[in-house]
Parts: sequence; structure tokens; C-alpha cells
Amino acid sequence: MPLTFIDIEKKKSWRITVLFIFLLFLYFCTTFALVQGFLFLFPYAIFLLNPIFILTEPRYLLVIIAISFALAVIHFWFSAFRSVRVVMDNINASPPDPEDGLHRRLMNIMEEIHIVTGNKRKIKCVVIPSLSMNALAVADLRGEAVIAVTEGLVSRLSRPQLESVMAHEAHHILTGDCLETSIAAGIFGMYASALEKMMGSGEEDSLGLHPSFLLFWILVKLGNLLSMFISREREYRADAASVRMTRNPLSMAEALYIISRNWTGTGFISSGLEMLCIVSPQITSLDESEGWWADLFSTHPPVNKRIEILLRMARVDISTLETKLNVETEAFTQDTPEIPYYALDAKHQWQGPYTYTELASLSWLTPRTWIGSGNEQTIMKASENKLISKIFTNRLSLTGKEMSGFICPFCRQPLTDVSYEKTKVHQCNFCGGILVENVKVPRILARTEKRFTDRVKSLAKAVIMDNQRSIAIKKLKGVGVKTKPFISCPKCKNPMFRTFYSLAYLIEIDKCGVCNTTWFDKDELEMLQYIIENKITPKVDVFDPEQFS
Amino acid sequence: MVNWILLTVIILFLLWMVFIYNRLVALRNEVKNAWHQIDVQLKRRYDLIPNLVTVVKGYMEFERDTLERVTAARTRAISAVKIRDKAIAEDMLTQALEGLFAVMENYPVLKSNENVMQLQEELTSTENRIAFARQLYNDLVANYMTNREVFPDKIIASLFAFSCVEYFSAEKSDRSLPVADIGIGTK
Repeated sequence: MPLTFIDIEKKKSWRITVLFIFLLFLYFCTTFALVQGFLFLFPYAIFLLNPIFILTEPRYLLVIIAISFALAVIHFWFSAFRSVRVVMDNINASPPDPEDGLHRRLMNIMEEIHIVTGNKRKIKCVVIPSLSMNALAVADLRGEAVIAVTEGLVSRLSRPQLESVMAHEAHHILTGDCLETSIAAGIFGMYASALEKMMGSGEEDSLGLHPSFLLFWILVKLGNLLSMFISREREYRADAASVRMTRNPLSMAEALYIISRNWTGTGFISSGLEMLCIVSPQITSLDESEGWWADLFSTHPPVNKRIEILLRMARVDISTLETKLNVETEAFTQDTPEIPYYALDAKHQWQGPYTYTELASLSWLTPRTWIGSGNEQTIMKASENKLISKIFTNRLSLTGKEMSGFICPFCRQPLTDVSYEKTKVHQCNFCGGILVENVKVPRILARTEKRFTDRVKSLAKAVIMDNQRSIAIKKLKGVGVKTKPFISCPKCKNPMFRTFYSLAYLIEIDKCGVCNTTWFDKDELEMLQYIIENKITPKVDVFDPEQFS
Repeated sequence: MVNWILLTVIILFLLWMVFIYNRLVALRNEVKNAWHQIDVQLKRRYDLIPNLVTVVKGYMEFERDTLERVTAARTRAISAVKIRDKAIAEDMLTQALEGLFAVMENYPVLKSNENVMQLQEELTSTENRIAFARQLYNDLVANYMTNREVFPDKIIASLFAFSCVEYFSAEKSDRSLPVADIGIGTK
């Protein structure tokens, strides 16, 4: 049955408090053992004549307690008083840069953590210039509290994952875990180093310890084990608290997964600081074997177990997590495979491969350009590819022209409202086609202000001759010649009827019977105007098909 | 002898009453503070939104509907006075913003713009802060209510009129999934 984060937090808190008190008690026992050992060794020490047992003499008990307490306080005070400053110098951390987008995000997250913890304590965040991925929390007796995060962590975690990590570290600070860890390290550290000295004075590697100190040795080791155990419990509790704050167990699991599979700073973060990190830098594949011996002596619980607990809360399977994150890391490691695009230029040469952005900046790209998209080997017009047609929409919006609601049937882009012969028509920016309401057509044809270029004039004549020929061929062949497919009306989407404007004026146009509009392809309207103004009608020497029927 | 015991008991009892009363007062004030902290974050959101709309407007010609919805929701939220109206208006603003972000996904050029990215980060942070502030408020309310209702303290609470406080709850419309409006202006 999965425990909720609230249950975990409460259970662990109770356990941690009890154990910590026991640890302090153990500290005093260790002191007794030490002094007892000395008294066995040097029974004639000081002013005593006989070996005595301390426990039978209450007066000595009090003296011992007082001395050990004083020693502990002094040692602790000196180590913990300025520890923040010391640690920060050690790891070369610096405050985040407000102009950097990701650092700014870190600062915002720090602010959010302050809000969610009710602003109980002001925590600063700093950045460690290392590519490893880890986070530390340090707090000292002066009231300063700092969370240090590596650059690797800042850049590679997503926002929710970073929030979870920061919440975890902030919890360590707020519950005084950092201080208590320093206490445990401090007081037992003193005895551990004393023990090492005693053992080191013998010449053999084996227990060069006087038997009278055996009890002392046992107790120091026990103290070490206990403090490791408490440290592990603290990590579980902080994970649960992070979920309580962000309400997102999945992102915490993801963050742990990612961090544990990356360089966590071994060799960079000194071994004294490992207890403060979110994932121990000393993790090697040996430790992860989860043997109970390895468990006993590590400051952090095995990452897999932590992830498992979190995933149970999130009701997600570990394999789902793995596939999701592996997919994401693959996307990091390879260059995101850009789809290569090929475009057919005016000379009918395939150009490319282009990336999407390169394609967008090609000046000769129009919605009617043929595009080949690298992966599927399909060829289509640029207007038919949704992604590419966005390029055109963007270009259009940047021109700042007035848009109508009608879409060009070829380019699939909106028509712009332009003034043609002083009347409003809808023109496509890309292919030059024009949509005109039928009522306006006579107006336009009557007006003569437009000057025609020579190109249009020649084109008009050529088109008329061409159309004449095709009418004749069609009639002589007697069979329907294949025509281009009918286009749909930009206004009402019904198919438009393709016809000549009139048999005298052989310009092809498309008319919509439903909404009474006419579509002119590029130049067609101008050509029509030209031939009407100049009364260019087909010459009479056309084949008369009737003679053959 | 009995007198001394009685006296001690009475003194202890009075001390206990004082202790409980003080704790209830402290908790109630924390709750009030947390409520006003939410307002601080809401104000931050009001200030950020016009910037976002201005920057985004140049690129999103067809999304006039979405932009107008955001601006209108913001105006309504600022002008709401009563707590009930305010809560409803704020939720509508959140929804409008979510719709805007969903639509922005369709514009890769817009998304990579530096200003827009910064503003988006700031707005995401603000939404988070609002959520966290509300979360904290509810946690504190729960704490206060528990202390108020637990047995021995219950007497003191009712004696000194410590009233109920309301939780912050989602509107019914919030409980359904928000629908992203991705219509690209085909009128």
C-alpha cells in the first residue's frame, strides 16, 4: 500500500527525533568509554590510586558530562558557525546572473519556494560552475542558509524537476537537518579522528588498539552507523516534503533518475560535503548493488529505492519513466533530426536540403513551389504542407496589409484587399490572382486608368491565339480534352465554372454561380482589360470546324 | 497542603488557557497573512499581462479573439471587489491565459522570440506562485481549523469566538479540463 507523502514525513520525523536523541546519548556513553579506557590504562593517573569504575561514582559522572558537553559545544560552534562561508569558498560558488534566462528561472523558483514555505527563512541560491549535476544545502548558526546548484543541474532539468530538487533542499534547511548533520559529524568526528590516531600508533594494520579502548571503538562505530542511518531517514523525509510542497512526485522521481545517471560531482565536491548533497557524489555502481552492507555505510539511501517510493505515490511504472526520459535524452544527444526540405526552383532544379528556417528565408519560395519533404519522399506544393504554409502566413502578416477572410484556392493563403482601378478587389499576395465580385467587373473593364506593360500586351495576344487554337482542336477532336481540375470558390467553397469571358474575348476565367464572384489568375484581369479597350478580337482566319462535321 | 495543590492546579489551568489562546491567535493571523499574500501574486500577474499582449499582438494577427479575451478577463479581474467575484474573475483569467499559451504553440517564430520567452517564464513563475500561495493558505487554514476543533482547545476557541475560516476551493468550471482554442482566423 503506497504511503502518502504526509504519512512518510510524519513517520520519519518521529523516528529521526528519537534516534537523534539516542545519538546524543550515545555520544556521552562514548565519552565514558573513552575515559574508562584511559583509567584502565593509567590507573594511577591524576590523583587516583585504584582503578575505578566511573559509573559507580556519581561525582565523576558529573565532571565527565560537563567536560564532554563543553568539548562538543566548542567543536560544534567552531565548525558550524561560519560553515556556510567556508563551504561556499570551497566549491567556488557564485550568485546567479539575473540576465541569464536559466539563472533567472532559478531565482524565480527560489522565490516560489519561499512562498510555499511561508517565508519562514530567507534562503539564498548560488550556482556552482561545474558540469556535474548535484545540489547542496548548507545552513549555519548565524542564520544564513544557502542552496547551491551546479550549472549542469540548472541547464539539464526541466522546470518542474528543478522545483522538486529545490524544494527538497529547502526542506533540509528549514527542518534544521543541515545543522544536526553538522553536529553529528562534529562530535563524532572528533572521536573518530582520535580513534584513528590511537589505531595508527600501532605498527601492524590490524587492531593496534589497547583492549581497554574496545568499548570506545565499538561505540564510535555504532555512532557512525547511527548517524548514517539518520542521514538516510532524512533523505526520505525530504523527498516526501518536496512532494508535499510541489505536489508532483513524478518530477522528483524524474530528477533523481536523471541526476543519478550523470556525473554527480565525484572528485569535484569534496568528501566532507557529500552528506549535504541530494545524491551522493560517492555513488558508484558497487554501491548501487544494494547489498545491506553497502546500505549500512552510505549517507544516502539507494536512488532506486527513492525513485520507487516516489513512483508509487505517482502511480506510474518505472518502465514508463525510463522510456520517457530516454527519449528525451536521445533528443539531447543527437541533433534533433531536422526534416530536410527540397524545393524546385524556377530553373526546374531541385535545391536543398534545407532546414525549416532556411526554407523560410528563401526569397523565391512561393506557395506554388514544389516541395519534397526528406523523410517521406512525397512531393507536394508548398501550399499543401501545413508547416510550410505557415511561413507564408507569417510573411503576409508582416506586410501589414489588410486581410480579407477569403483564401486563395492555389496558395491557401488569405487574400488581401487592394484597390484596383479605384475599386476594392481581393488579391493573393503570392500568385497575383484576383477575386472580383461580378457587379464590379463591368466597372473595372470600363475604367481606363491602368497602364499596361508590354509584357501584358504581348501576353494577351499570345494567350488569345493559344485559346483559339485549343478551341479548334477541341471541336475537331470531338472528345473532351483533359482540363485542369476545377478550383473552389474562395468565398463559398463551391467548385467554380471555368469559361471564357466571352467568345469574342478569349481569356479564361473561373466564375462562381453561387456567390457571383469571378476569379482571375495572375495577369488575366489586366489582359482582359487590354483586349477590351483595344478591341482585340480573334482574327477571322480560324478553321471553321463546321465544314468537317 | 491541599490549598497549595489546588492553587497550583488553578494556576496551571490558567496558564494552559493563555497558551492555547495565544496559539489560536497566532494561527489566525497567519491565515490572514497567507490570504493577502495571494493578492500580492495576483497583482504581479495583472502587471505582467499587458506586456505579453503587446509583444505577442504583432505576430498573431488572426488570434484577435484570444488576445481580446485575455485583456477583457484581466480588466474584469482588476475591477472585481467582492471576494466571490474576484475568485471567479481570477479563474477566468487563468483560463484565458492558458488558451493564449496553447495558441502560441502554433507560431514557432513567435515562440523563439527573446522577449516572449522571458515573459512566458515570468508568467509561468507567477502562476506557480499563485498556486503555491493558495496551497500555503489552505495548509494554514487546515492547521488553524484543527487546532480550533481539537477537544480541549475547542472550549477556549468557542469561549473567545474564534470563527471558522473558508478554504480556497476551485470553481466548478475549473474541475473540467480547459479546452485550448486553436482556431486560426477562418471567418
